Amino acid sequence: MSRKILVTALALTLCLALAPLAMAKDIKVGGIFDITGPTSAVGKDYAAGAVAGEKYWNKKNVLGGDMLKLIPNDYAYKIPQAVTLYKKYKSVDRVFVIQGWGTGDTNALRPLVNKDKIVYLSASYDGNLTNPKKNPYNFFIGTSYSTCIRLAMVYAKENGAKKMVFIYPDHPYGKNPIPAGKDFAKKQGLQIGPDQIVGLRAIDATSQLLAMKKYNPDFAWIGGTTPSTAVILKDAAKLGLKTKFVINPWGFDENLPRLAGKAAEGRAFGLLVVAPFGANVPGMKDVVASAGGKNYTLHYVKSWVSMMVMVEGMGRAKRAGKLNGPGLKAALETLKDFGTGGLTAPITFTPTDHRPNTSCAIGGVKGGKIYIEKNVTFPRMPEYIGW
Amino acid sequence: MPCGLFYERYEKDESIFPTVWLRFWMIALGVFLLTFPFFAQPLSDALGINLLNLFNLFFIYIVGAHGLNLLTGYTGQISLGHGAFMGVGAYTAGILANLGWPFWLALPFAGLMTAAVGMIFGIPSLRLKGLYLAIATMAAQFILDYAMRNWEALTGGSSGLAVPAASIGGFEFDDDFKFYFLGLAFAAGATMYLKNITRTRPGRAFVAVRDRYLSAEVIGVNLFKYRIMSFGISSFMVGIAGGLWAYYITIISDEHFTIWLSVQYLAMIIVGGMGSVLGSIYGVIFMVTLPEVLLIPAETLTEIWPDIFGIFASLREMIFGIIVIAFLIFEPDGLAARWHTIRAYWKLWPFSY
Repeated sequence: MSRKILVTALALTLCLALAPLAMAKDIKVGGIFDITGPTSAVGKDYAAGAVAGEKYWNKKNVLGGDMLKLIPNDYAYKIPQAVTLYKKYKSVDRVFVIQGWGTGDTNALRPLVNKDKIVYLSASYDGNLTNPKKNPYNFFIGTSYSTCIRLAMVYAKENGAKKMVFIYPDHPYGKNPIPAGKDFAKKQGLQIGPDQIVGLRAIDATSQLLAMKKYNPDFAWIGGTTPSTAVILKDAAKLGLKTKFVINPWGFDENLPRLAGKAAEGRAFGLLVVAPFGANVPGMKDVVASAGGKNYTLHYVKSWVSMMVMVEGMGRAKRAGKLNGPGLKAALETLKDFGTGGLTAPITFTPTDHRPNTSCAIGGVKGGKIYIEKNVTFPRMPEYIGW
Repeated sequence: MPCGLFYERYEKDESIFPTVWLRFWMIALGVFLLTFPFFAQPLSDALGINLLNLFNLFFIYIVGAHGLNLLTGYTGQISLGHGAFMGVGAYTAGILANLGWPFWLALPFAGLMTAAVGMIFGIPSLRLKGLYLAIATMAAQFILDYAMRNWEALTGGSSGLAVPAASIGGFEFDDDFKFYFLGLAFAAGATMYLKNITRTRPGRAFVAVRDRYLSAEVIGVNLFKYRIMSFGISSFMVGIAGGLWAYYITIISDEHFTIWLSVQYLAMIIVGGMGSVLGSIYGVIFMVTLPEVLLIPAETLTEIWPDIFGIFASLREMIFGIIVIAFLIFEPDGLAARWHTIRAYWKLWPFSY
């Protein structure tokens, strides 16, 4: 009995192991996503978008017969798990490009990525990654977090803000852009109150908001993801705070009105680095078609654009005859005002500046839906490269 | 010719490898392990698994699992804090390495530091048994976990702590291939150590404490001393494992050393076999390989059905739990016992009775 099971198990493992051998050679792309961890609420759609993007560009056959093969894996937002996956992608799958996820792990992998010359497109828009002098192989497609904070402060100032507070989770993702924000606050003449820490998996933010209420800021920055943002908004409504909230790109999406209800209306203003899912822009038709009738959030669009930029770079690298890590890096650095069909602001990378763009939209919530209030642009100043 | 294994001298009974065949197989295993890295790459490509990484994780966790097995399997003291103890070792090694300490000094110091911490949290074991000790050590887990996350000046907080690669005399163990030999040496050393300590006076005292602590005390075993000693040695080993892990992964963060790791350690020795040296090795191999193997169908099936990897990611932990439960029900003595039954079956075949 037990031997039978053993033999079946062995046969099964062998079949599964030999299956990849039978397939043709492809351009492999490593995927490090969060499906089960603290940021999975936004990570799931991001991963889905990347997988759909792979299918879409393979169908369009833009790489002259070469097929993309994305290897998506979950790392549960754990830095060591990301390192393990990276090692596998490097030595077993021998990829030269990775679609990654979080700020902590992307920063942790920087030295390895630079040593191994693997292009790393992250879903972390940490400003730190935009300096090619330090991180030549890191790219991303959205307005950086620190630029987002600066834009949020300009917006807050326009709306009469004098005092501001930062609310963020105790993660590199939340913490890293804060010094840039505080520096800019000084230049703007904004007063900054004591920081409040609200975790990514928080289910209550009353104590933090009570502490914030004493300071009574006009605006507050939220650096979390959508579920914790909804918790903050609801508790703020419950406590009757007058404070308005500006929210970073991963805390404001189509799910927020559903999660926060009325509490989001007139109180939540999000920085949208991509157009919302289903928005009326030329590039959105293919995105929606790829979803197969499902309603995703704008995070799906982010990974879609990340794949689009990667494929464009691969195409250019292939024409230059250098379809490898350094070749893709050089090709991406030739992108100039690359149009994404309105999904994002045009993207430009240069060998000295890896900021994709410095424009995004500020959205609000009205009638249970998100809408775009205005488009904003921050001047592309050289002193802000890398933070 | 004798028709069985008969010992004529006590030394023979006590010897580690009593038969010629066993010695032969051990040498074969040694040769295999020493030459394995040289043909690991093509094998990894064929299987789609990073085999060197897998083996390095085996080696690191074997050191730690031996430690927990000594405490739980041999001395009968449960610990739900070994995940955090591994973290203490990792952070000690990491911090010392960043201060410029050489590898050969930082690693033993990491072990000693963890032993000290483990002994402090082992003190309740004098009064507490079973569930109560489990809760007390779980408290250690949470205290240490909290410290690792929030003592930012020391541990780097949630951003993690970068650790340089291990180096001995200018030779850097900076990739999987080089680290393999370092890991192998430590795993072999820890295995020999555990095998030997169980044959010494303290080793017999540990087993006496486990089997019936009252009788042990009556015949003159100092319960306090041996329980604390067991906690100390056990934590030392898991601290070494943590240090090795820090030098291997080269970035450590508190997310790894949660209660989940403690439970995983316990699962390793339960699945492998408590109170058996081979048990911790089998347990580690099983528990470390399983998630890697579960990746393969997910990666392959994604071709056909794009959403499946997301489902598999959540399934992995469920399958993990189901397997542990299945082991507790069907093979409570672990893989080591199952291996013995299989061996006995073939040895006696076809005349088993």
